[in-house]
Amino acid sequence: MQQPRPDEPDYAFLPRRPAPERSRWGTPIELARPEDPVAREPLRINGRESRSDNPDRYRQHGFYFNADNCIGCHACETACAEKNGLPPYLAYRSVGYVEGGTWPAYRRINISMACNHCENPVCLKGCPTRAYTKYAEYGAVLQDPDICFGCGYCTWVCPYNAPQLDLERGHVHKCNMCIDRLEAGLKPACVAACLGGALDFGVIETVPENRVQCEAAIPGFPDPAITRPNIRFQQAASTPDELARPDSVPVRYVRETPGQGEHRPRPDPLKLSRRRGWGLGRLRSREDPLVVFTLATQLVVGAFLALFLGERLGLPGLGAAEALRHGLLAGLFALQTLAIALSTLHLGRPHRFYRAFNNLRWSPVSREVASLAVFYNLMGGYMVLELFPAVAAWLPAGWGAALREGLGWAATLAGPATLWFMHRIYRIPARPFWNHWQVLTAFYGSALVLGPLAVLAAWALAAAAGLAPSVPGPAQSMLGLAALAGLGLEGFGLWRHARAMRREGGLGTAAHLEQTTRFGWTYLARNGALVLAAGLVATLAWMAPTGAAAAAGWTAALFLAGAAELVGRALFYVLVIPTTMPGAFFWKNPGFQDHARAVGLARMPQVGVLERTH
Amino acid sequence: MLFGRRNKNPIRLHDKGVVEWRYTTCGYCSTGCSIEVGLDREGRPVSARGVGGADVNRGKLCLKGILEYELFRTPGRGAHPLMRAHRTEPFRRVSWDEALDRVAEEIKRIQARYGRDAFAIVSTGQIMTEEFYTLGKLARGVIGTNNYDGNTTLCMSSAVSGYKRSFGSDGPPGCYEDFEHTGCLIAVGSNLPEQHPVIYWRMREARERRGFPLIVIDPRVTMLAQQADLHLAIRPGTDVVLFNALAHVVLKEGLADMDYVRRHTTGFDEFAAEIERWDPDRAARVTGIDADTIRHVARTFGQAPAAMVIWTMGINQSTHGSDGVVAINNLCLITGNVGKPGGSPLSITGQCNAMGTREWSSCSGLPGYRLLENPAHREEIARFWGVDPEFFPKRRGMFMTDIFPAIETGRVKGLWLIATNPMTSMPNTERIRRTLEKLEFLVVQDAYEDVETNQYSHVYLPAALWAEKEGVFTNTERRVNLIRNVCPPYGESKPDLWIFNQIARRFEQGRRMRFPETPRQVFEEMKQLSRGRLVDISGMSYERIEAQRGIQWPCPEGQEKGSPRLYTDGRFQHPDGKAKLIPLPWEDDNERPDEEYPFWLNTGRVVEHFHTRTRTGKIGNLNRFSPTPYMEMNPDAARELGIEHMSYARVTSRRGDAVVLVQLTHRVPRDMVFIPFHFHDCVNRLTLGLLDPHSRQPAYKQCAVRVEPAPDQEAAARRNAAARAY
Repeated sequence: MQQPRPDEPDYAFLPRRPAPERSRWGTPIELARPEDPVAREPLRINGRESRSDNPDRYRQHGFYFNADNCIGCHACETACAEKNGLPPYLAYRSVGYVEGGTWPAYRRINISMACNHCENPVCLKGCPTRAYTKYAEYGAVLQDPDICFGCGYCTWVCPYNAPQLDLERGHVHKCNMCIDRLEAGLKPACVAACLGGALDFGVIETVPENRVQCEAAIPGFPDPAITRPNIRFQQAASTPDELARPDSVPVRYVRETPGQGEHRPRPDPLKLSRRRGWGLGRLRSREDPLVVFTLATQLVVGAFLALFLGERLGLPGLGAAEALRHGLLAGLFALQTLAIALSTLHLGRPHRFYRAFNNLRWSPVSREVASLAVFYNLMGGYMVLELFPAVAAWLPAGWGAALREGLGWAATLAGPATLWFMHRIYRIPARPFWNHWQVLTAFYGSALVLGPLAVLAAWALAAAAGLAPSVPGPAQSMLGLAALAGLGLEGFGLWRHARAMRREGGLGTAAHLEQTTRFGWTYLARNGALVLAAGLVATLAWMAPTGAAAAAGWTAALFLAGAAELVGRALFYVLVIPTTMPGAFFWKNPGFQDHARAVGLARMPQVGVLERTH
Repeated sequence: MLFGRRNKNPIRLHDKGVVEWRYTTCGYCSTGCSIEVGLDREGRPVSARGVGGADVNRGKLCLKGILEYELFRTPGRGAHPLMRAHRTEPFRRVSWDEALDRVAEEIKRIQARYGRDAFAIVSTGQIMTEEFYTLGKLARGVIGTNNYDGNTTLCMSSAVSGYKRSFGSDGPPGCYEDFEHTGCLIAVGSNLPEQHPVIYWRMREARERRGFPLIVIDPRVTMLAQQADLHLAIRPGTDVVLFNALAHVVLKEGLADMDYVRRHTTGFDEFAAEIERWDPDRAARVTGIDADTIRHVARTFGQAPAAMVIWTMGINQSTHGSDGVVAINNLCLITGNVGKPGGSPLSITGQCNAMGTREWSSCSGLPGYRLLENPAHREEIARFWGVDPEFFPKRRGMFMTDIFPAIETGRVKGLWLIATNPMTSMPNTERIRRTLEKLEFLVVQDAYEDVETNQYSHVYLPAALWAEKEGVFTNTERRVNLIRNVCPPYGESKPDLWIFNQIARRFEQGRRMRFPETPRQVFEEMKQLSRGRLVDISGMSYERIEAQRGIQWPCPEGQEKGSPRLYTDGRFQHPDGKAKLIPLPWEDDNERPDEEYPFWLNTGRVVEHFHTRTRTGKIGNLNRFSPTPYMEMNPDAARELGIEHMSYARVTSRRGDAVVLVQLTHRVPRDMVFIPFHFHDCVNRLTLGLLDPHSRQPAYKQCAVRVEPAPDQEAAARRNAAARAY
């Protein structure tokens, strides 16, 4: 609990200024009335009860940043790091910049950014563990690392890169508004440290002394509509029409009409690769386990549906191939188990996995996990009853079979529902490349492609080995058609997505241009593989081969489609450009971070780049 | 749900458990911020904060100060004295006695064999004033070498020289409070936001309150230039011409304070005759600043009720460094802007105690701004110390930048380096390497064992650091401030004062003289010597300094408070009591870009680092902002050469080459590149460092280089990474 210093200068104390009743978004700035129960509760900070008599205590507070004045001296970041005892590889507050003009008519605009303690805290809503709380006191959005299990989803949804996923400690932590200082009547440490007259703090929508603007955004700042952030800006000095970022993100900020209007993000041709490449070295990422997890889950859902519905709807030959069905069911269950294990180990703190269900009300992650848990258990129950009917022998006659059927039908609903919730995870406004319905066609498409093809390949292989009756032609046609439909769905989605991204004009376009340049050959190869897979599937479905030919054909189709899916999914994760704030030349520059890891500079902890990436 | 916190854990914030705050003064730059270091229950330094009531920083600190408590546990510190017979052998750990005996023996041996001046001492601007004074006593009174200088020759000697030439003595006449009164501020070759962020804050607060014009003269568009009302992107090395032209306009347009000139200066006629030649049109062709702008600036400065000029290395590190300072002084003198509130030529010093070494170390003379050239001064100090006056040389010896060439040619055989790292800081690194190889004996006294110069030493003496000791620093505005001891020295390292005293004891002459044990006793001795001098500190005591958060000299006994300004009565330190107006003819003597080497190379500081990074390179939360060197380059120039942003370029000069990561930015003109000076084996492999004729300060900021893409990017990256031991 920080207390005022002896001789604490005036600038460090919270100002008292008349504030409007509502924010520019129309929401009340007063977050709790004196008669509300919450207003009678103390804050408990580090084991002490704190009751500040600040009359503004229940008003939404926020930072004020005067971009005209920021000199990029890093005092704010450093005061924050000092107070919060932060390691060099992350920061609650970071200063980046954009620059434009031609020497000597050159201008650099520094931007110091921490958490904006938003009106619509997407981190809080996205967090599956409910580690976040928006306090009525000062409107602070605080995160509790002791609850967090380190999935990092809040770092995806936040447009400002405020929550920091600490890969060393395995959890997220972030700006806490220096709530202990607020309780002591002091401004946050970063604000008190500011040397440029840039950073200030107070009740939101109030303008500090000698400042003239109260804007919701400056160049480089993401669309405030996403989260209604509690930060206000001044940027009154005239700026160049084009502003470049010093980091490697291929985005710059351009004003459509010279001298007027807002700067909008646009692809930066100077930072995009000019030659088409494979980009294979960059295809791997921290999200690799999610590539496997999503594809495996989609395959399992698709295959389960093919098996269960195929049998119920009389897919020729499937009813008779009991051993095949049983083997496949067991295999799918094992694969799903593995996929779940993989995604759990992807967490910073896997032993807290059970907290994934804490936020069913808001978090798409919670819903996905819950839905997947339901599907997994239904499918598991169905499998047990199917493989070992004796388990239900103690039930009255017929009840066991009814239970099995009920479980199966429920699983056929839960599976697609899981994929629906899974796709919701990626519909993030702060990630324009993802925020498109193509995610849904991709997820359902790959279920439709991989599921039936997995069944067909397994069936044909089993038949060739004499373990199952051969695959009848109509079964090949029907399952093949399903896979073709899936490929069509995926292709349609990809086509529309590419078109939408080209038109989007900003971060989405930049990501798509990366896809067609740096990863250009990979992208073309993936598209080609999808077309080839479609051709192969159509041929096989039409010709309905038998024996070794069927086994070889359908296995090849599965591998071809699977490879296309794998590469496509990897691209999906590595291409996305979040709406993060601009970095600097070294700090928060993804290009330098990669470089430091590659040449070994990252081995020195004081370089501020963590060697490990997962 | 958004607000509910039922079933939530209490809020847990990082708590450092500070139980005590201890007063000290920052040990980085010369701003002189008062810092309190927080100690936890075990007495470990865990936090730092600015002192709210300190006039200098008023509670603020820059990023380096905020993390200064981390210094005590930075890696690379020396825990034990080390010794070896030859620099190619590994060091072995020895006792203090063994190491000190060897140092004393080698000094005696070298002096006996090659003469007294064959052993040289180069000190610093980083240790306490009491230590400087003691070292001076040791060097001048015991060892008796005349080749004794400080690394302040690399940063402030042009200011010293310029002040001496104009005013008869060193000592910046102004103070930070002048920002509150000035009507016009010219900042030339000074980038406050990067170099002195807290002074910038003081200036900016004053400017927000009163709105005076800020005119910045700098070839780069620095953050200060961006905040300026007027930015003059001058051609490197032509500042003297610009200031001559400003004086020309001031005289021509009747803006001079002729009454002040008559009463307080000499040499006006010769000065005016020279100035006559520097009309704005002629100056425009040299400086690249158009004549109208020159007139506009001169009028703004001349018409302001009070006007001040601040400068840093952009003036000092130049072949015309001393002349540049004199030119600034000239302009201030003819407009009556010396020693008045808001009117001052105020040099912004570099190191935390560069002033302390100027005042008390006897590097350029004798303590308390006394001169070796003055027989009365020699007599006075000799009597006070108990030395034969004839033991003192009659004039000062070599500057640091002349000592190294003397080593090169064998005139100097032994060297003692104290808290300075010439392997990284001197121009032309390769030449310094070869120079250091030639030494028969090198002793490095430093807090850090991994300081690059230590590669060439025979004895390494581990020194205590900053607030592991006690003593005073003097800042840019002559404020003497106190460093209280915060924690014990690391390992077996010892305060520099202790080391000097131990060496003194190993000389017969030293045993005869008084070398007080404690800094407080030394301070009392200095007080006696300061009585009646310009640098009078006789009215100060540690307790009074701490209570007032620093006191500005002169503060004679009986005076309660310090003096914010010098020369308020118009009496200067030349024997006639007047300041000199000195004519400054100008000749272009820089290495200029040509076809072979088409770029100006400019160097400078970044806010997160201090000097050669032995400290800041090890503190992650500072170093991360520039963990490796980079070069600012104009994108238009880069395009022609096929150099890309974030790729490595090879930079070549007539001295050597460097590889460096390129940052494309329009902050620099098309014919200039800028590389921060902090990094080992980088920019100083290229610099020429022509010496100023008066101050012997190297011109780091003007030389010519060629730039090309590094042919093998991976090899360049490896070479750069290999040079980063920290």
